[in-house]
Amino acid sequence: MSTSNLALELIDIHKSYGDLNVLKGVTLKAAKGDVISILGSSGSGKSTLLRCINLLEKPSQGEIVIGNEQLMLKPGKHGELEAASSKQLERLRSCLGFVFQQFNLWPHMTILQNLIEAPIHVLGVPKAEAMERARKLLAKVGLADKEGAYPAHLSGGQQQRVAIARTLAMEPKVLLFDEPTSALDPELVNEVLAVMRELADEGRTMLIVTHEMRFAREVSSQVVFLHQGQVEEIGTPEQVFDNPKSPRVKDFMASHQGG
Amino acid sequence: MSWEWGVIWEYLPRLLGGAWLTLELVAVSGLLGLALAVPLALARASANPLVRAFPYAYIFFFRGTPLLVQIFLIYYGASQFDAVKESFLWPVLREPYWCAIIAFSMNTAAYTAELIRAAIQAIPKGEIEVSLALGMSKLTMIRRIILPRAAGIVLPGYSNEVLLMLKSSALASTITLLDLTGMARTIIARTYTPLEMFFAAGMVYLAIAAVMILVFRLLERRLNRYQFAKRPS
Repeated sequence: MSTSNLALELIDIHKSYGDLNVLKGVTLKAAKGDVISILGSSGSGKSTLLRCINLLEKPSQGEIVIGNEQLMLKPGKHGELEAASSKQLERLRSCLGFVFQQFNLWPHMTILQNLIEAPIHVLGVPKAEAMERARKLLAKVGLADKEGAYPAHLSGGQQQRVAIARTLAMEPKVLLFDEPTSALDPELVNEVLAVMRELADEGRTMLIVTHEMRFAREVSSQVVFLHQGQVEEIGTPEQVFDNPKSPRVKDFMASHQGG
Repeated sequence: MSWEWGVIWEYLPRLLGGAWLTLELVAVSGLLGLALAVPLALARASANPLVRAFPYAYIFFFRGTPLLVQIFLIYYGASQFDAVKESFLWPVLREPYWCAIIAFSMNTAAYTAELIRAAIQAIPKGEIEVSLALGMSKLTMIRRIILPRAAGIVLPGYSNEVLLMLKSSALASTITLLDLTGMARTIIARTYTPLEMFFAAGMVYLAIAAVMILVFRLLERRLNRYQFAKRPS
């Protein structure tokens, strides 16, 4: 893949909490339009890896390149890396859409206010334009009639769709999903996956930490399997799901796909 | 026992004059105290122990000593220093009115800062993380997310603090101010009707408190309307 086509590159990411090494050197590249699913059993470091990309967790070592811009890091006090320039970090974060497991909508704001807050106060978009964009996004996730409601009035699935719309309102270059359906009742999972599938079809670059195996197989261009903080296997969905080289991945697939 | 309604009616206008001073003291020091409490609370909630140290000591002192002692320290204490008497501060510090305002403001700031700090720390971590993930600077996040969110959480506790301050303001009468309590005592010295006058003063305090409670309830409905809003069916 050519450099200009690169959306995100992680080089040798390490993360430790004291003596516990959660990530032991993960390297990963996403080209524009790639949809990469990150699988692994719990404790394998999937969420930590995702949170290291926008420095919600500070990696102990490694490099992060977003588009063609390297995130400048410097050693912090407790042995982990921190952003050398908060301005750069803020700018790069605004290009990385992050969708949380727990939605994290601001409960004291209406749905529309949730969507226009960051575009106005981070990107400096004029309010009228931000509102217009927000309404289009709400229509896209099927919640056009909810703009005046408060988050507590929506179901979990609706809240997660709003959270995705809020992320899209920043027009991010890469979308990061951290187990976006794990906090949802089973009957609400599909409405969120449908929205994510649509985003994948639009050619957006996405990294998805998920336990939804069928979804991962259907939408991913690449699947990464993490085990104890390292990449155990990486490849196309066909390779990783149907012909894994690692016996561990084989076992995992057997237990998660119902045979 | 004789009870004279007449004396209450006769002196009511003067009593209400005292009530006006009480309201002024509470309002001015309430606003100044709030303005002081916000930066104190933010520093107190900081991750940096050096930044936390000053507000910690400040809050410890003002919550750990009687308000009356604080008033006396400022009112009688300041004049003991020649440096103060010669400085530009003297025209302010020699006025009992301003000494009361300073003592009340600094005192309520300490309590309010603790309330705001607790409210800030009660904001779910995810709401902070998402603000950072969207690229907000710390300042934008404090201004747009943390403080408005903390305001809704802090309000019920803060209304308590304002009611306590209303009643503590009676201590202004100890440094010659004719607030509601001071005025009542002055009138009593003249009329020898302590029961009637303290009763009347108590009723005026109660009326002020009733209005304050109402105002805070309305404010709470407004700030926390997301909790009161009806679920659309």
